Amino acid sequence: MRASKSLVTVAALMLMLGACTQDADTTTTTAGLEEPSGATTSTSAGTGSTATTAPSEEPAAGGLLAEVIARDELNCGTRDELPGFAVLTAEGDHVGFDADFCRVIAAAVLGDASKVNFVDLATEDRFTALQSGQIDVLVRNTTWTAVRDGSEGATFLQPTFYDGQGMMVASDSGFANVSEMDGVIVCVATGTTTEGNAATEATRLGVEWEVRPFDSPDLIQEAFLAGTCDGWSSDVSQLTALRSVYPDGPETLTILPQVFSKEPLAPAVRDGDSEWAQAVSWAILATIQAEEFGITSESVDDTLASTEDIGILRFLGAEFETAEGTTVLDPDLGLPVDFAYQVVSQVGNYGEIFEAHLAPLGLERGVNALWTDGGLLYAPPYR
Amino acid sequence: MTTRQAGARPPAWRDVRVLRWVFQLVVFAAVAAVVYWLIDNYRNNTASSGIPTNFEFLTGPSSFDIPGSDFDQNQPVHSAIVVGVLNTIRISVVGVILATALGTLIGIGRLSTNWVVNKLSAVYVEVIRNLPLLVIVVFTFLGVVFQVLPRIENAWKPLDLVVVSNRGIGVPWYHGNSGGLLLLLAIFGAFGWWLIARWRRIVSERTGEPPRSGFIGAMFLVLTFIIGWVILGFGVTLPEVDGRQIVGGIRIDPSYFAVLIALVIYTASHIAEIVRGSIQAVPKGQGEAASALALSPFQRMWNVVLPQAMRIAIPPLGNQYLNLIKNSSLGAGFAYIELTSVTQITVGNGSPAVPAFALALAFYVVLSLVTSALVNVVNRRFALVER
Amino acid sequence: MTTLTDTRRTLRPRDGALIWLRQNLFRSRLDALLTLVLGAIGLYLMFRFVQFVFVNARWEIIQVNLKLLLVGRWPVVHLLRIAVSVIALAFWGGVFVGLIRARQVRRGTADLDLVGWRRIGDLGRRFGLLIATVLLLLAPTTTAGPRMVAIGLFAAVLLGRVAGSRLGSVPLPTALVRLSTLGLVITPFVVFLYLVDAVPFAKWEGFLFNLTAAGAGIILCFPLGVLLALGRRSKLPLLRSLSVAYIELVRGAPLYVLLLMANVSLEFFVPPWIAPSKPLRAVVTFTLFTAAYVAEIVRGGLQSVPYGQEEAAKALGLSPYRQMTRIVLPQALRNVIPAQIGQFISLFKDTTLAGLALGILDLLAAGQAITQQEAYRGQGLIIESLLFVAFLFWVGSFTMSRESQRLERKLGVGVR
Repeated sequence: MRASKSLVTVAALMLMLGACTQDADTTTTTAGLEEPSGATTSTSAGTGSTATTAPSEEPAAGGLLAEVIARDELNCGTRDELPGFAVLTAEGDHVGFDADFCRVIAAAVLGDASKVNFVDLATEDRFTALQSGQIDVLVRNTTWTAVRDGSEGATFLQPTFYDGQGMMVASDSGFANVSEMDGVIVCVATGTTTEGNAATEATRLGVEWEVRPFDSPDLIQEAFLAGTCDGWSSDVSQLTALRSVYPDGPETLTILPQVFSKEPLAPAVRDGDSEWAQAVSWAILATIQAEEFGITSESVDDTLASTEDIGILRFLGAEFETAEGTTVLDPDLGLPVDFAYQVVSQVGNYGEIFEAHLAPLGLERGVNALWTDGGLLYAPPYR
Repeated sequence: MTTRQAGARPPAWRDVRVLRWVFQLVVFAAVAAVVYWLIDNYRNNTASSGIPTNFEFLTGPSSFDIPGSDFDQNQPVHSAIVVGVLNTIRISVVGVILATALGTLIGIGRLSTNWVVNKLSAVYVEVIRNLPLLVIVVFTFLGVVFQVLPRIENAWKPLDLVVVSNRGIGVPWYHGNSGGLLLLLAIFGAFGWWLIARWRRIVSERTGEPPRSGFIGAMFLVLTFIIGWVILGFGVTLPEVDGRQIVGGIRIDPSYFAVLIALVIYTASHIAEIVRGSIQAVPKGQGEAASALALSPFQRMWNVVLPQAMRIAIPPLGNQYLNLIKNSSLGAGFAYIELTSVTQITVGNGSPAVPAFALALAFYVVLSLVTSALVNVVNRRFALVER
Repeated sequence: MTTLTDTRRTLRPRDGALIWLRQNLFRSRLDALLTLVLGAIGLYLMFRFVQFVFVNARWEIIQVNLKLLLVGRWPVVHLLRIAVSVIALAFWGGVFVGLIRARQVRRGTADLDLVGWRRIGDLGRRFGLLIATVLLLLAPTTTAGPRMVAIGLFAAVLLGRVAGSRLGSVPLPTALVRLSTLGLVITPFVVFLYLVDAVPFAKWEGFLFNLTAAGAGIILCFPLGVLLALGRRSKLPLLRSLSVAYIELVRGAPLYVLLLMANVSLEFFVPPWIAPSKPLRAVVTFTLFTAAYVAEIVRGGLQSVPYGQEEAAKALGLSPYRQMTRIVLPQALRNVIPAQIGQFISLFKDTTLAGLALGILDLLAAGQAITQQEAYRGQGLIIESLLFVAFLFWVGSFTMSRESQRLERKLGVGVR
């Protein structure tokens, strides 16, 4: 009898504890909830309760944009082990260039950069995840190619980073040129365009390469350290990142000057929802436009308070004077009028994002500079 | 139909035979309905998103190379799959042989009276058996291939016959005519061995002299090989280091090596336990009788205990072989391009996932069925010897 | 039975060092050679291992990422729920063991000669490793919380154990017995619901995923496995061929490939509103896969029940359904417990495949992801990370497999 009594007591205790944590849970959720500015309604049903929402049954009505707003969370396809672009911190946050662009989209659409549910994807299943509606947008270091645009059911948008595939060799190997490398072993990561590009390049140069695909960057690095590979082929951004932390010192590795492919890394959305595609596109373009205007996350409030520039006021969704009186520009993108303000104030402009995540890897702006600086970044006018 | 007794037949709704069939048909119909529903969904979904459901992708160009083979990116996908299947078979067959040998040794070791051997075997089994295979594969790469094997610049070249480095292991190989002829020679030799064994057994039974069938048979096989080799104009190529490459001979890929080692040490830990159990299950008197006949410990084990233990061990060993074949699919993440890997790359390159994976599964099921059929045949042969 | 015991008595060191050495290390020349060569290799490997683990390894990466490895991105505010669940399950386990013990005492099958220190020693041998692991995991933490959890954990086990054996040793009204049985059965589900209420299963990661996916898989597959086993033994041809086809097809397929398929092609087979989250997909695949193996295990158990049992049941006039559920199945299932544990262990290890195939952040995937963090990348810390992952899996599997061997001896499976 006594034993059963203790059972009951423990059960009661458990329930009480459960109730306590339940309370704590509710309070934090409410505290964390901010009314998304401009968004229609915020359903405060526990954030994150639906990780992989099924795609809406009638995509025509409402569309993904409305669905994301109703859900009040953006499902963003990323990865968790690509230095500079997206890595997982000890606290479980995603940090990096790609991760920040997920936040940019969330800030633009939902008014809150923290409302991102990062879905880590393997290279093989990223397009399936997009097709099945597991994710709303794919920002996973993915190259925009014709075949992917056409037959994977994906639509690629404004590239966030213009990359190219290159080759890294040991400095003492004597290779100064990709075409000198004949009869060598080239290590690459599994399931990427890198594999095919390397094979194509070898054929073009008329040299013999043995291309070895590995699953994890750790294994490639160890293979390279042990001298199992002569060349390490990947996107130049990656090679730079890997070189900067190479255990024997960055100077022991050389990235060869040849870049043998164009790799525009761009976010992708599902085919057939142009409203959503435009929303995502403009969220990204806002970071570029902000840099062109010279607005940073720190200066944005001051700028807003002091500027007389109608272009900037329009861009930030602030009121400006016209012949007919005070007005704001609403281009009817389905985004709140102040989305650019939210993007810049919560995440930053393109340059800031680059400086925060890619510059530490040793990457130069290069072609990823503004068009005014001779780069490729060019945002259409916001008017 | 069984003979009916007059008036004994109950009405249909209470007749057990009828009820049984009704029950079965209901279950079958339910299963069929679910399967139909799945297939119907598949058809609709693929049709609406324009994804092909047929096997036409097999004839398209593969656009990837397979290291360690002649396969290149201009060949069609179906040839890639064939190379993948062959690679799966290659690693499975070698893996099964090595795992059996190592597992048997360690299984015997666990029963050894030598304290060191006994404890080392026990530690081996208890450590390896309880680790995920995936972890072991990564460890063999990091530990064995990248740490133990030397760089190509200071490759080991024992007797200049073999070249060992972390870029591959070169071993001597034949050159000249096609390998098919060599296989024919081997079959011919083995057949001769079998004939000789039969002949010697008859002779031995008649005259009482020792049969020595193993020795004479092996001699025949070796002679056949040597003579055939010379007549057919085969030669030998030795592996050499040329710059940073191994040329000549045949090269064992480091990925193959690492995955193979992982499969072997993992499977061997399971086989060791089977062998140990089987040896313990052999009646004690057998070993004692062998000792009483003054057989050496080796003879006792090899000629008396092991053959009987193996008879008990065959069915569970068969299961381990099946596991090994299926586990070879893990090569996919580690640059060993076998069946799963080929399928994964093909799907990654835009082939439809469902037909591609269905094909791979079909291959695995066939491989498994063939293997269990072989194990059954062996099992039956051993069982025939039973008293 | 006697054939199983090894009559070559292994001498123990206290029998005289020289004799022991002679008998166990240098019995013959070959023996001596083996001893020296293997001993040297063994010592060398052990030295390298110990040197690495205690001297060279940099365990900081594990310390910093401990939470990520164990529970993934589980929200910090809900960590308390995990603590409560673990303690509740510990108590539950204690009660369970206590009940079994009480039952053994009642039936006189318990080995009562283990008392006092010897009993504690025995428990230490059996669970010392597990306890040490728990303590090791808590060592780097500086806050009081985890230590409280550890104390609560051990207290709950002891309390449960005492409560269980009390509960089992006093005669109770049938209603109460039924109630407590029900309580025992549903506790894991209640705990699961309690956790899911805070964080949906789709977001379970880290070691938590490995443990729960394996547990869920083995529980869920059981009914299907038993049905398949009965189907395979059935005299009804259609049922039998369906069962055989399922079992053989699934057993012929690699789990890794099935998981890959579940990952990329499930969308095509079920309508979009069904397509479940990745962890759920993994569990469904594990369930369908393991069912085929469990079916074979149960079939073996069914075969081990002497035919006389069934005949006796028939003679008593029991219906076929009752023959099966009251007489044959209980005996068969009792015999397959060790094999079931073996299957659970292998599923537990195979959950790592889900990380690779589906991209779930399980323990192994987390171990590989953390080496790319800003502070640690490029330093070859993958070895430390993998060793930690391997250690956790090893402790779990090793303890379970030893317990299952013990159970096997106790049940006397295979010994008539």
